[in-house]
This record gives sequence, structure tokens and C-alpha cells, in this order.
Amino acid sequence: MNGLLRNLGAAALALAVAGCTQDTVKIGLMAPLTGSWASEGQEMKRNVELLAAEQNEKGGLLGKKIEVLVEDDGGDPRTASLAAQRLATKGVVAVIGTYGSAVTEATQNIYDEARIVQVANGSTAVRLTEKGLEYFFRTCPRDDEQGRVGAAILEKAQAGKIAILHDNSAYAKGLADEIKALLDAKKASLVFFDALTPKEQDYSSILTKLKAAGPDVVFFTGYYPEAGLLLKQSRQMGWNVPFIGGDAINNPDLVKIAGKEAAAGFRFLSPPVPKDLDTAEAKAYVAAYQKKYGEPPSSIYGVLAGDGFRVVAKAIEGAKSTKADAIRDYLTGSLKDFPGFTGKISFNGKGDRVGELYRVYEVDANGGFVLQP
Amino acid sequence: MEQLLQQLTNGLAVGSIYALIALGYTMVYGVLRLINFAHGDLFTYGAYLGLTLLASLALQDRLGLAAGLLLLALMVMGLVAVLGAILERAAYRPLRESPRLSAVVSALGASIFLQNALMLVYGARYQVYPDVLPQTAVALGGLRIPIVRIAVFLVSVGMMAALYLFVQKTKVGTAIRAAAIDQDAARLMGIDVNRVVLLVFVLGPALGGAAGLLVGLYYGQISFTMGWVYGMKAFTAAILGGIGNIPGAMLGGLLLGVVEALGAAYLSHSWKDGIAFAVLILVLIFRPSGLLGERVAEKV
Repeated sequence: MNGLLRNLGAAALALAVAGCTQDTVKIGLMAPLTGSWASEGQEMKRNVELLAAEQNEKGGLLGKKIEVLVEDDGGDPRTASLAAQRLATKGVVAVIGTYGSAVTEATQNIYDEARIVQVANGSTAVRLTEKGLEYFFRTCPRDDEQGRVGAAILEKAQAGKIAILHDNSAYAKGLADEIKALLDAKKASLVFFDALTPKEQDYSSILTKLKAAGPDVVFFTGYYPEAGLLLKQSRQMGWNVPFIGGDAINNPDLVKIAGKEAAAGFRFLSPPVPKDLDTAEAKAYVAAYQKKYGEPPSSIYGVLAGDGFRVVAKAIEGAKSTKADAIRDYLTGSLKDFPGFTGKISFNGKGDRVGELYRVYEVDANGGFVLQP
Repeated sequence: MEQLLQQLTNGLAVGSIYALIALGYTMVYGVLRLINFAHGDLFTYGAYLGLTLLASLALQDRLGLAAGLLLLALMVMGLVAVLGAILERAAYRPLRESPRLSAVVSALGASIFLQNALMLVYGARYQVYPDVLPQTAVALGGLRIPIVRIAVFLVSVGMMAALYLFVQKTKVGTAIRAAAIDQDAARLMGIDVNRVVLLVFVLGPALGGAAGLLVGLYYGQISFTMGWVYGMKAFTAAILGGIGNIPGAMLGGLLLGVVEALGAAYLSHSWKDGIAFAVLILVLIFRPSGLLGERVAEKV
């Protein structure tokens, strides 16, 4: 009986070992497929799956097919940490994602302990790369850069009284604090600094309060659903103060929510949107995406996830290994000016993307996002 | 002063929506002692059904704005009422004799089911209502109040008043009140308690669905998760006013809206919900059964 058990145990062990010697390269994608950022998450999935299919047609990686394992993080830190644990146990060699900074932060240590390379695509909070984590990278820029660009347009607009509004999320508060610090250093007159509660629909009370403070310009660092409502409701109140926003407002639904009239003239910071990606490679990619899904990509974060996938694939090919240390060494050491869809990609020692990425966009009368010179 | 009045109107408009949803919680609790956690999702269904019917039938173009919207509202209320009745049959009636905890778990399950079903059908994006309502505002002294906001308030209060009269003045309403006081005694008096429960699950969702439509028409932007926030606030309003009590739900909703708006204006907007819940705790310390929750005999 004892011998039988031992045999069974040995057989199980053999099976487990056989399971580990993979015939595919597993790459994880952690994305908010449900929840409030689901539109970003769904696009992340589309981009990564399209690129994985393209790569597989070309023969995959190191002679093996790529298998993309998708886990939903729900845009929620708790769901995300469970998703990260699932991915870590499934033997992925690298993980792409995710979007929200707070969500990414909940998963960083899980991947780090499991020695899995993580490439976030939308998490811009500064501190994510200041922790000295070895395997963490991001294809998106950081909020201190965004803060600098934001403070610069406020200065250029020569606004006398400035109001800053955030939503208490890790990202929005971080960006608001960056801008506030820069403005304070320049002794600009900040008349309002407070947060709204996200996911509500009536912002008339905070708008009434804002209006009473009498700012010349309002900088809102939160996300597009709230931004759209703020624009719409301030016009309903008959208050035409100019609004400026951060990169989380870059979503075509902004105009639908606010209405064209209220959205016109609104300015925001963002990495270039997919239609403004000007390299030949990016244009071909947007066309391929449109062919497969029937519409062009609308979220830059989906494309940044795609870029994350491509640098990981490049690193695995270049390092001829799927070991986390080899991928990391390749990304920090050997990858220089990789032609990503969103521009040239190199990483510094912290895992941050090198180079300036932010642009200023303005919404025109037809609701289009126009790149400002 | 001007800001105070403006904030009061802001609060009353939001509060009337809370109150309308709170009625659904409070009626179900009054009769069944059950918190229908799926009620917030029925509210969301009202908003989505309204959007679908508005976009596909375009009644406002054929019948004129007023008649079109009225018909739309009736259709939405009817459909959400049917949904409420199905919910009662499928999720709550089989558990009527089980421990109360089972019914609460069933309610939570129904909520998750409804929410995700909506996401699978409509997708996870925010949906946006077409602009059909006039965007003009009335200037009153220094105040600017959008007409639609006044209309939302009046429609909500009108529906609440109608419900109150129905429950207080009609025979069927008396049956509802009787079932709320003692189901067994009501049954002995010849009242079909199952039908009363069904009626409660038709009336509450109909009002919740109407609230969803109002939110969609006024704010324009709806999401499949919005029932959670509104449901939470409405539930709070129901408790604040005294759960099980219809005028209490109305009072609680309006009060919660006003407290939120004033808290946001004079303290900090980020503490808005904290202030609202602090008020709730204070009220419950001094009046554990809520503001109007004392007259047990009249509970509905």
C-alpha cells in the first residue's frame, strides 16, 4: 500500500515536471476587462492577442508558439492581486499590464517574488518604479513628466487664478500633487485644491464651490467619465471656465459624455493618440487592427500594452531565453531605441521608459482630438 | 447666501433621485424584512432600457417631446416592474421559508447576475443618452437652475406622492400595510400575501426604473455599475428615514442629498460621503429606528 502511494506520488511529480517543460511560451496579460476601465482593458486584450497571433504566424518565439493567458483585474487592487497570483502559478514568463496605478501597485510584489517580468502600460504613478523592484518596467511615461508638461501649459496660458481638482485615486492625486508642487515653487496663485468622488453623476455641488472660488482655469487630473460630466454640468450652470486635464481623459467617449458643445476647447495632456502615431510601422499596425476588429484602436493604453508585448517578445528573442533575469538584462542593457508604435523605446535602470512622450491635445468643435504644436 | 441656495437646489435634485430608489428598498423591507440588494441594479436596468427604447423608437420625434417621454417612461416602468416580478419569483419566493440570511445571499447573487448580464449585452463602456432635453436654465436672482433639474425634482416628488396616496387610501394599499404588520394575520383576513409581495416587487422596481430613466435623461452618462453607488445611497436614505416607512424614505433621500451638497460645499468635497454617513450614525444613535421609523403599526 505504501509502495503504491509512493509510486503514485512519483507519477504525480513526473506529471508536474512534464507540465513545466512547456512547449509554448506563456505570456500573461492582466487587464481591466470588467469594471470602470473595461474599455481600456478590452483594447489591451485586442492589441496583445493580435500581436501574439502575428508573431505566431512568423514562427513564434524561440521555435515555440506564444500562448497569451489573460486575467481580469477588474480595475480593482484586490481582484488584481488574485489575478496576479493565478498568473504566477500558471508559469508565465512575463506579464503585460495593467492600467491603473493603484491596481498595478497591488501586484508588483507578487510578480517580483515569483521572478516574473512585469511591463505595465498605463500606470504612471511615480513611486511604482522608485521601489527598486528588479523586474518591473512600464511603457507609459511617469506623472512627474506629466506634471512638468501640465505646469508648463498652465504657465503658457497665463492663468492668474488656478484651481486643481483630483479624485483621490493614486494616479490623480499623485499628478495633482506634482503640479501643485511646481506651481507653489513658482508662486502661482492656487485658489482651489480638492477632490471629487469618482463614479458619481452629479458634480453640481463641487462645481458650485469651484465657481465661487473664481478660478481662471481648472486643471482636473482624474478620468474621462468625470471630466465629461464636469464639462457638461459646468456649461449647464452657464459657467464657461476653461478646463485642462491629464492623460486619463484621453478617450473618445469624453466627447459623447460632455456633448460636442461643452467639450470644444477642452485641452488635455496625453501620449500621442493612435491616429497621430506617425511611423510607417504604427500606421500599418493601425490598419491591421482595423482589419481584424472593424474599428481602429481608440485607446493609447491598448497600444502601449501592445508595445509592452513587443519589447518582451524582442527581449526573449534577443536574449534567447525566457528566464526573468535574462529578459530584464536585455531590457535594461541591450534594448536601445526599439521602434515601438508609440515611438522609440528604451528603459533606464529603474524600468522607466526614457524620453518625453507627452503632447497637448485640444478638442475641436466636431469633437476631434487635435494635436497642438 | 447665493451659494447656499444653489447648493440646496443641487442637493434636492440628487436627493429626490435617492428617495425614489429608496422607496423600493423600504417597501420590500416593510413586507418581507428583506434587503433587496438587487434593487440598485433594477435602477440601472431602467436607465439602459430607457436608452434602448429612446434610441430605437425615437418616440420623442413622432409624438413630440412631452408625450414621447411620457410613453417612454411608462414603457420603462412597466418593463422594470416585470423584471422585479421575475426576480421575486426566481430569487426570493423559493427562499421565503428559509433563514433570512439565505435570502440576503440570494439578493447579492441576483445583483451580481443582473450587473454582469447587462455588461455582456451592452459592453463595459459608458453609454451615453442622446440629448433630447432642453439645456436651458432659469435665472432666479443670482441662481441658475437648469429646467431639467426642476423637472426631475417635480416628477420624483409627484411619483412619491402618488405611491403614498395609493398605499394609504386604496384597498390594495391597506392590504400591503396589513401584510407588513403581520403576514399570518393578514392571511387569516383573506389577503393573498403572495400577491401583495408580488405587487411590492412591481411598484418598487417601477419607481426605481423611472429613477434610472431620469438619471439617464438628465446626466446623460450611464454605466452598468452605477446601481451600486445609487443603491448604497438610497439604502442609506431608507435607513435614515426609518426603513419600512414610505414618508421616511422620501425624507431620508432628500435629507441625504442636501447634507451631501452642503457638506461638499462648506467642508470638503472628498469628505462628502463621510459627512453623510456621520449624519446617519448620529441619527441612529439618537433614533435607532430612523427619523420616522417609530410608528410600527403603520409600517409598510
